[in-house]
Amino acid sequence: MSDRKEDDAIEKTRDLRTAIPSVDIYENDNEILLYADMPGVKKEDLSINIDNGTLSLSGVRRFENKGVSRWEQFSDIEYARSFSVPQSIEVERVEAALKDGVLKLHLPKSEAAKPKMIKINAA
Amino acid sequence: MFTKLSDIDRRFRTMDLFRNKIDRLLSDYDRSYLYNPASTLRSNSLKTNLLESGDRFEVQVEVPGISKDDLNIKIQGNYLEISGKRSVETPEGYKKHRNERGSSTFSRSFTLPNDIDAEKVEAALKDGILYLTLPKLETAKPKQITIS
Repeated sequence: MSDRKEDDAIEKTRDLRTAIPSVDIYENDNEILLYADMPGVKKEDLSINIDNGTLSLSGVRRFENKGVSRWEQFSDIEYARSFSVPQSIEVERVEAALKDGVLKLHLPKSEAAKPKMIKINAA
Repeated sequence: MFTKLSDIDRRFRTMDLFRNKIDRLLSDYDRSYLYNPASTLRSNSLKTNLLESGDRFEVQVEVPGISKDDLNIKIQGNYLEISGKRSVETPEGYKKHRNERGSSTFSRSFTLPNDIDAEKVEAALKDGILYLTLPKLETAKPKQITIS
């Protein structure tokens, strides 16, 4: 019984709708570069996880609106998306920046994964 | 007679089933329209919210990745126009894998329920959302009439 009471006391957050952010993905010899549109998401509400070859992005946006809504075409939302990334990403060196509602993520490749120029010796 | 009634009943139940399916289909469709931002700037239509409180309106616009130099806001009377452009270019030396964000130009205009005091409008750009505070014009505000 006491367990149930504790359950009731937990404040439940409102279920957020989930949306898929639009992304651009680029690659060069050194890194994979990812941009994701997440308008309205603050830095502290963004989480980036890389685990076992999966990159997961999640950003939550909440508005504090005052006044009567005349129309509403966007609202509180969770942007979430997962990608498969090569195991050769150097997780320690991943860099992320959030600007104007766009996440920019640098995923550096490890030395071993970079393409190597093979010199052909004249026989 | 009874068999016929149950027949009708059954038919209606089938209809209900069908309608539920349609409802679900439509609600999903609605959701993707409202909450799938993948099409935000692609479709050249900005997503906006309009809030009204006492003496002002607040307009919120989703504009990810757009700097303030690329946004134009025009106000005249109760007419508001927001336009701008976003350019997305492949960075130098990179190979493109996926391009969903896309460059676009967009423009949207509104007729607001009241005239706006264009002099006192405030605009702020934060985390890819444009916030416009639009005070109503003095003459548009409700007035107390005293009966003599």
